[in-house]
Amino acid sequence: METPVQHPDESRRDFLKFILGGSVLAWIVSVLYPIFAYLKPPKQNEVEVSSVKVGLLKDIEKDSGQIVKFGTKPVILIRTANGDLRAFSAACTHLECTVQYRKDYGMIWCACHNGKYDLNGRNVSGPPPRPLDEYRVVVQGEEVSISKKS
Amino acid sequence: MKPYLKKIYDWVDERVELQDLVNFMAKKYVPVHRHSIWYYFGGVSLFLFVIQVITGILLLMYYKGSEELAFESIQFIMSKVAFGWLIRSIHSWTANLFIFTTLVHMFSVFFERAYRKPREITWLSGMMMFFLLLGFGFTGYLLPWNELAFFATKVGTEITGAVPVIGKPILEFMRGGDNVTGATLSRLFGFHVAVLPGIFTILLGTHLILVQRQGMSEPHEFKNKPHAEQKTMPFFPNFILRDLTLWLIVLNLLAILAVFFPWELGKKADPFASAPAGIKPEWYFLFMFQSLKYIPAKVFVIDGEVLGILLFGAAGLLWMLVPFWDYKSSRGEQSRFVTYIGLFVVMYIILFTILGWLA
Amino acid sequence: MKRKLFYLGLFCTVIFLPAQSLLADDQCISCHTNTVGDKQSELFKHDIHFKKGISCADCHGGNSKLEDMDAAMNPKEGFIGVPKGDNISKTCAHCHADPEKMKKYGSSLPTNQWESLQSSVHGKLSTTGKEHITQCVTCHDSHGIVSVKNSASPVFPLNVVKTCTKCHANASFMQTYNPAMPVDQLDKYRTSVHGVRNRNGDPKPAQCASCHGSHDIRGIKDVKSSVYATNIPTTCSKCHSNAEYMKQYKIPTDQYEKFARSEHGKALLQKHDVGAPACNDCHGNHGATPPGVESVSKVCGTCHALNADLFSSSPHKKAFDERKLPECETCHSNHEIVAATDKLLGVGSEAVCSRCHQTNQNVKGYAVAKTMRSLIDSLEFMEQNAEMLVNESEQRGMEISEAKFKLRDVRQARLQSRTMVHSFNEQKFHDVVGKGMTAASIVQGEAQASIDEYYFRRKGLGVATLIITIFTISLYLYIRRLERKQNKKVI
Repeated sequence: METPVQHPDESRRDFLKFILGGSVLAWIVSVLYPIFAYLKPPKQNEVEVSSVKVGLLKDIEKDSGQIVKFGTKPVILIRTANGDLRAFSAACTHLECTVQYRKDYGMIWCACHNGKYDLNGRNVSGPPPRPLDEYRVVVQGEEVSISKKS
Repeated sequence: MKPYLKKIYDWVDERVELQDLVNFMAKKYVPVHRHSIWYYFGGVSLFLFVIQVITGILLLMYYKGSEELAFESIQFIMSKVAFGWLIRSIHSWTANLFIFTTLVHMFSVFFERAYRKPREITWLSGMMMFFLLLGFGFTGYLLPWNELAFFATKVGTEITGAVPVIGKPILEFMRGGDNVTGATLSRLFGFHVAVLPGIFTILLGTHLILVQRQGMSEPHEFKNKPHAEQKTMPFFPNFILRDLTLWLIVLNLLAILAVFFPWELGKKADPFASAPAGIKPEWYFLFMFQSLKYIPAKVFVIDGEVLGILLFGAAGLLWMLVPFWDYKSSRGEQSRFVTYIGLFVVMYIILFTILGWLA
Repeated sequence: MKRKLFYLGLFCTVIFLPAQSLLADDQCISCHTNTVGDKQSELFKHDIHFKKGISCADCHGGNSKLEDMDAAMNPKEGFIGVPKGDNISKTCAHCHADPEKMKKYGSSLPTNQWESLQSSVHGKLSTTGKEHITQCVTCHDSHGIVSVKNSASPVFPLNVVKTCTKCHANASFMQTYNPAMPVDQLDKYRTSVHGVRNRNGDPKPAQCASCHGSHDIRGIKDVKSSVYATNIPTTCSKCHSNAEYMKQYKIPTDQYEKFARSEHGKALLQKHDVGAPACNDCHGNHGATPPGVESVSKVCGTCHALNADLFSSSPHKKAFDERKLPECETCHSNHEIVAATDKLLGVGSEAVCSRCHQTNQNVKGYAVAKTMRSLIDSLEFMEQNAEMLVNESEQRGMEISEAKFKLRDVRQARLQSRTMVHSFNEQKFHDVVGKGMTAASIVQGEAQASIDEYYFRRKGLGVATLIITIFTISLYLYIRRLERKQNKKVI
């Protein structure tokens, strides 16, 4: 009399075990998948060299300029012919194009409308209405970094 | 499948006598009574600790603990690394939930008088872990190097500096200098990922071994009941499986929180900027922070802030040493006085946290 | 005859002038003209002040009624001789700054000249440090002063130029005060329309004082100066917007209104951007002349250099020159230059290209214009789309600062392409637009990916929740079963 009662119980329990085992496996996958995806190296391997740190002084040529990403804003770092370092916001005050250093002019130049700034960031010709905002350049030993002017 | 598992089990058992452990756990019983639910908070806290260790190690793979890169690296984790947002949000949420569950665990132990003889060491190790947890929270808060964390750390360390004689050296020790700078970040980072976890693991091991050896504490009235009414359940598998169920629910809750309320990153800290309005510490420090505000600037000759810190220090010490001055409980008697103290502390913390929240 | 006239004059003066200033009574004049015969007294007889009955003694002191020379010119009688330094102007101001006194002489002249002069650029201390640089007499002379309306006056419009250049064309003198200041204003002025007409005897065209003011002249960098950049349009419009005044010259008088509506006018007058051009930046200041047809692009090119360069090397240069079309102006107009939009480009109704390029004439340009417009329109559309996606992704709380940064490149390319239009070269234009389009599609892709990621997170959570729920429920059932079995065993 007891065996027929036991039977459906057993089969139900097997089903339960099946579900349980399945969900344990699914759960393990759902936990491990994010972890392994996280560990897979992202396209850009490392957080970019910070906007503030530019590099070594010896790597920055005299009479040159480079655009540095400062947070979400571009900053232009200028090294003048006699070795001074200066940094300005690289967004042209006219229509916010990104400015560049022109060796032939010895000036900061905006390609969009030929705006020109001298190496103090002052707007000297073309449409820009205001000088470029200045950033502070800090040289610690050999390391050059840019920070906001307070 | 079964035979293979069995074989592996036997292989291990042969060498380390696993069966003893299983037998031990199977014989262990958890008392069942109307306050049984509180037993689960220890387990949940343990689970959250495991999550913290795992997510913490994962975050370490990409985090950079320097002034220039800390903020950017978290930004990088959140945007560039697959599931980075999930790992970081879970780590942050778990940190808060962890402190909450340990608080509940601590108060339940307190009200159940589970600290009474012979469990004084368990209580002490638990209390020390709780203080370490606060340390984890404090050190971890600065790591994203955002504006809010920067100023909260500044204020937090400043309060420590108010303590006479030892305050100033402690402040300089914590800040790694006079001010909160990149040096502070490196220092707190080191504490957060190496020093604190090391000590914590030792304490946790002690705590768990003691719990297993001594078993669950039973309430006073439970002992007085007739044997037939002393309901229990086996620790393994019944209690463990229930624990597991709860852990799963907690994990799901964390995932939901991480997806719908991702932990904000805020603005990068600028040491030269003026402090934003409404700087508040994390919620678990809020009641102390708020209390310090209510103490007058000078009480007799003592500085108000110093007095507050000393009072909190003394209160914390008394609280930690409760097994040693609560004679009645150790003798197995009711002690209403301790209950009142506990209730007062709970009310105080809730009230001042709310006040701090509203301020 | 002479005697008769003399008596008639005497009669008139007796009738019209106060008694104390009678010529017969003024011993200074009679002695200085008759006995001494000096130039000053001779000049003074033509002076407006003399005619109004003001005597020598009113400025020089002394008693004009005494015949005895020593008694009359005695310091005891208040004789001061020739006033020196600021005392000169103070002597004039004694009456000219006093409305009551001026009224007595029936004058309607203003009375603030001395005050204005002191605060003007000429009111600074001279090299001696004891007096102001300029005194009243520097420009007005001392004896023989006549009304400003009198063509003999040194401040009569036709004479002003000469009066001012006494100092301002003298390089060695100007050097002692402002070495950087040019001294060629007169030369330039004579090349201007104003200067030519002025020389030909027309008093109406502007001379120095018309623009710079007279007593209250200020430096060009002084915001109160009438020739400070933001004040220039108003200064010029005093005459050029006065239809009545300009009638005989037959030129329009709506330049100011047009300028004020223009992009340049808005920048200068509303945004107070002193870098924006005022009238003088295109027309010149002292040599004010409208730029000639062939030099328009050079003048505009002083600021819009890139556009001018591109235009000069474009095929349009020759075509415009042949047809005598003014370069920039043909498409952009002159005083009322409004912000150039993409609408100017192409072959639509608002486009300027189709004025010359039609389906039946200048066909090649028609096709290029059409292509260029469609290219720039697509770029703008792509930029908007990318921006929209970035915003959407940002609103969903995704971290997208990198794509946002890249969006700048798209905008930059679009702005550059608008400049590149002036090359009228399809290939060059295509290159610039292409750069923008590439950047736009990268941004679009990144933004779309992050939006997809947002939904992926939600779906992922759903799946995980489902798994955990099933796991939890089956665990619960398992525990129940287990305990029922245990209970059975116990029983």
